[in-house]
Amino acid sequence: MSTHDCDTCVFHAELERMGVSTDRFDRVVALAGNPNTGKSTLFNSLTGLKQHTGNWPGKTVSRAEGGFEFNKVRYKIVDLPGTYSLLSASHDEQVARDFLLFGRPDVTIVVTDATSLERNLNLVLQVLEITDRVVVAVNLMDEARRKGITVDLRSLARDLGVPAVGIVARTGEGVRDLLAQVDALSSGEAVTAPLRIRGTGEFQRAVDELVPLIEAAAPGVPNARWIAIRLLDGDAEVETALASGRLAQLTAEQQQAAQGFSRKIALDGAQ
Amino acid sequence: MRPLLLILAALAVVVALAWRHWTHRVVRERHRIEDALKHLFDQEYRGRHASLTSLKGTLHLPDGPVLALVARMQALDLVRARGQEFDLTPEGERLALQVVRAHRLLERYFADEARLPLSQVHAAAERHEHSLSAEAANRLAADLGHPTVDPHGDPIPSREGDVPPAVGVPATSWTPETTGRIVHLEDEPPISFAQIVAEGLRVGQTVRVIERTPTRVVLTDGENEYRFAPAVAANVFLAPAPAHTAAAGVVRLPDLPDHVLAEITGLDDRCQGFSRRRMMDLGFTDGARIEPILRTFAGDPRAYRIRGTVVAVRRDQAEHVIVRPLDTATRGLA
Amino acid sequence: MTTGSTSATTPEAVIRRAASLRDTLSRGFRDEAVRSLYAEASRIADRATVRDGARLDIDQRIDALVTSPILGLPIMALLLAIVFWLTVAGANVPSAMLAEGLFWIEGLGVRMFEAIGLPWWITGFVWNGVYRGLAWVVSVMLPPMAIFFPMFTILEDLGYLPRVAFNLDFLFRRAGAHGKQALSMAMGFGCNAAGVIATRVIDSPRERLVAILTNNFVPCNGRYPTLIMLATIFVGAAFPPAFASFAAAGAVMAVVLIGVGVTLVVSWALSRTILKGEASAFTLELPPYRRPGILRIIYTSLIDRTLFVLWRAMLTAAPAGAVIWILANVHVGGASIAQHTADALGPLGHAIGLDGAVLLAYIIAIPANEIVVPTLMMIYLGTGMMTDVTSFEDLRRVLVDENGWTMLTAVNLMLFSLLHNPCATTILTIYKETLSARWATIGALMPLGLAFIVTFLVATIWRLVA
Repeated sequence: MSTHDCDTCVFHAELERMGVSTDRFDRVVALAGNPNTGKSTLFNSLTGLKQHTGNWPGKTVSRAEGGFEFNKVRYKIVDLPGTYSLLSASHDEQVARDFLLFGRPDVTIVVTDATSLERNLNLVLQVLEITDRVVVAVNLMDEARRKGITVDLRSLARDLGVPAVGIVARTGEGVRDLLAQVDALSSGEAVTAPLRIRGTGEFQRAVDELVPLIEAAAPGVPNARWIAIRLLDGDAEVETALASGRLAQLTAEQQQAAQGFSRKIALDGAQ
Repeated sequence: MRPLLLILAALAVVVALAWRHWTHRVVRERHRIEDALKHLFDQEYRGRHASLTSLKGTLHLPDGPVLALVARMQALDLVRARGQEFDLTPEGERLALQVVRAHRLLERYFADEARLPLSQVHAAAERHEHSLSAEAANRLAADLGHPTVDPHGDPIPSREGDVPPAVGVPATSWTPETTGRIVHLEDEPPISFAQIVAEGLRVGQTVRVIERTPTRVVLTDGENEYRFAPAVAANVFLAPAPAHTAAAGVVRLPDLPDHVLAEITGLDDRCQGFSRRRMMDLGFTDGARIEPILRTFAGDPRAYRIRGTVVAVRRDQAEHVIVRPLDTATRGLA
Repeated sequence: MTTGSTSATTPEAVIRRAASLRDTLSRGFRDEAVRSLYAEASRIADRATVRDGARLDIDQRIDALVTSPILGLPIMALLLAIVFWLTVAGANVPSAMLAEGLFWIEGLGVRMFEAIGLPWWITGFVWNGVYRGLAWVVSVMLPPMAIFFPMFTILEDLGYLPRVAFNLDFLFRRAGAHGKQALSMAMGFGCNAAGVIATRVIDSPRERLVAILTNNFVPCNGRYPTLIMLATIFVGAAFPPAFASFAAAGAVMAVVLIGVGVTLVVSWALSRTILKGEASAFTLELPPYRRPGILRIIYTSLIDRTLFVLWRAMLTAAPAGAVIWILANVHVGGASIAQHTADALGPLGHAIGLDGAVLLAYIIAIPANEIVVPTLMMIYLGTGMMTDVTSFEDLRRVLVDENGWTMLTAVNLMLFSLLHNPCATTILTIYKETLSARWATIGALMPLGLAFIVTFLVATIWRLVA
């Protein structure tokens, strides 16, 4: 099948480099989350037997990807390694971080455990630093109820600035709502305003100084702030991406895609 | 025809051997120069001067080769002689900083990531420091999260070659009965360093000097007492302790009784590298509530409730977590 | 990196600027970042969750029991014993039924080929060689796996396995290894190749290598048939029939415990020699207990594990069946090649308390351990095909009365089966996971050497004492 009938074709070269086959789907959804949050359960219930497993290219990190259809849109879903954080240098975290940054999924679902939100939100906040198209799936709502924990999803969504949906991945409860949010976000119907953490004064000053430099070095880069934070932290991968021009190239492609995307929506709307 | 072939073959062997010998000599000379530069740098950093004698001791070489080496380094404009002593030239200092940076980053790597015993870290770094390019050192620094000190407490030069000034006072001149943090353990001479490490002192540990006489110096961390001859104690450098470890009412996590809720006040500096990052990622940060809830047959590891999850940690890592108990009423299971 | 460029907007300049800004930040910038993330996470979580504190924490009660200093280890041993007993006891009948059915098909096939008038060697090669190899593997492996893997998946899904790692960590710590090695070992009970892959949960490369190189010392599913057969014939038979299956399961359990002991000792030795280092960071989350999803268990255990392992075994069993048939049917100087080779290996086999036939069986079974027993039977009976001796009484007669097996043979065969080199798939997996031919070679030869040394010592001491 040709890849010309999709919204995000220009990223496909990058996706293919990361070992994601780009046939037969319209949009890419990444699934992130802590270990033991039922991420795989959600993945299995979405894809059923339409999945295959393997390794990330060049890494001994397992990867699962599959497909599902919702509202006549075909989604490719990539299950990222379960991680507690995106800041460390373990292979799992590198893979997850690289995919979110360079693979540019249309939407990222972060699966969280309703019974230990605090720990899970640490990862959510880190994902929000990288991408703003995020839906938070609060899984294990049944277990939380059993343990006497009530989660106020509206408060959560308001604080995070992205949609939060309560689900029970094992029974499928709430999964349709989750997909509706994914649909709205990936089609551009819904817009998010993700929370970004402000650090200490000296840190903020350092970031503020770097952001314009990064924007000059890689014009139009959408999350210069995050790049600045990573550079301050000395992330070798991000340094390499910036030095080799991969970051600038990606950004240019992304702008083209955004234009092509809005044109396509305009055409679709006219029909 | 055949003799010619034989001669050619023999010639090839001779050339190959000579080439190997020559490259080997060049490499060995480079290593020696780098070791000498490192020594000169260390001496200058601690406000001393290197001499022929100290060089001989460090390089384990007799007079002749050391003299030749120094002559070679002078020819390369790396050192200047001033009477009996030597100083680094700017170029010498630049090279020295590169080697020192490589050495200390490698020590950090061997201590934190490869988890070699502290007593073997120095030797392992010695073996690899000459083959680590500046580029590779930068990558290593990034992978390690840009550490600023090595496991002995020495600062790691930045890639621009900046080194903060030496800090710390030898334990022999530290005010008795005041608490200090160990910031540096001098690894030369190796014999005193081995003794210090064998006694169990580590960089980052908080100690007090409880006795200082001309024959011995006694340090304590509250539990154990460490006795040293003054010559050895002079190799332990102390600086004022940061607030969280000196504060009253705090204990280390392994000392917190089961089912007692506490608040984390900090991770101490001895916990570095991957271990520190992983602990922080799991939520072991200041202000987190923590409660030991399970212990195994051997008493180690214990499992703690923290941020709504249960995490098991070994004792030697829990040792680095400083907590303040919140209530003394034990909350039993039933 | 070009250092000559002066423009402030080149990527190199930005990276340099970032590095110098980093030096202006107070130390522990990373700490500060994580602290503010968690502070924010904690604030948001507090606002969004309401806890009804009155509820009982059931998880904590279960944990207090299964990780209890006194009962934790016995409970674990009991669970393991139950799993083995159910596997041993439950697999017998379906195995026999499967074997009967599959061998009936073989008879049918042979008659059909004969009816068409094909030469004997085609019939023999296809049906008595290739097909019989497959039939053996299916009937011997499928039932125990179909029982073992779902039970294992249930324990996994419940969240019990991290508790096992927690309980056993004190042993691994002393061996200089990682507590999560217990998880990869548990997986190794199913299949060592899967166990090697499961070591990915260990972050430290050194400890991961220790776990990879020692995974072989937990007996995988393919080695149970040998262990179960020996346990039944030599241990179970010594007890009244009512207790036979318990005694047999107990013997298997004992072998497994020896395997765990060997794992720890070898890990300890590795940590002090070629993989020198101290135990690294060990942080293990103990997730809440969860009701296993039935569909997931069926999917994971049957499709992902059982069928996967079975398929792999069949792929290796078919060619091995062909090789066995050829070895047993090509005669040189009055005896088959198999017989000649077994005779040649005889002295070596005797030295380690076994015989030449056993060693030959293990050589042929390098691709898949499952076919050790049928190959052995073939060599002993000289039937020219892999043989199924249907009852344990028959087996006992063949081994003890006709081929002079003793308790020493049984013990050493169990030890050899436990310790010897991993199968070809596992060796290949070690290579793929470490990307190093060196580690793959060590992973293959170290256990083999150990197997020879241990069995030789046992045989020598046994003969001196007895």
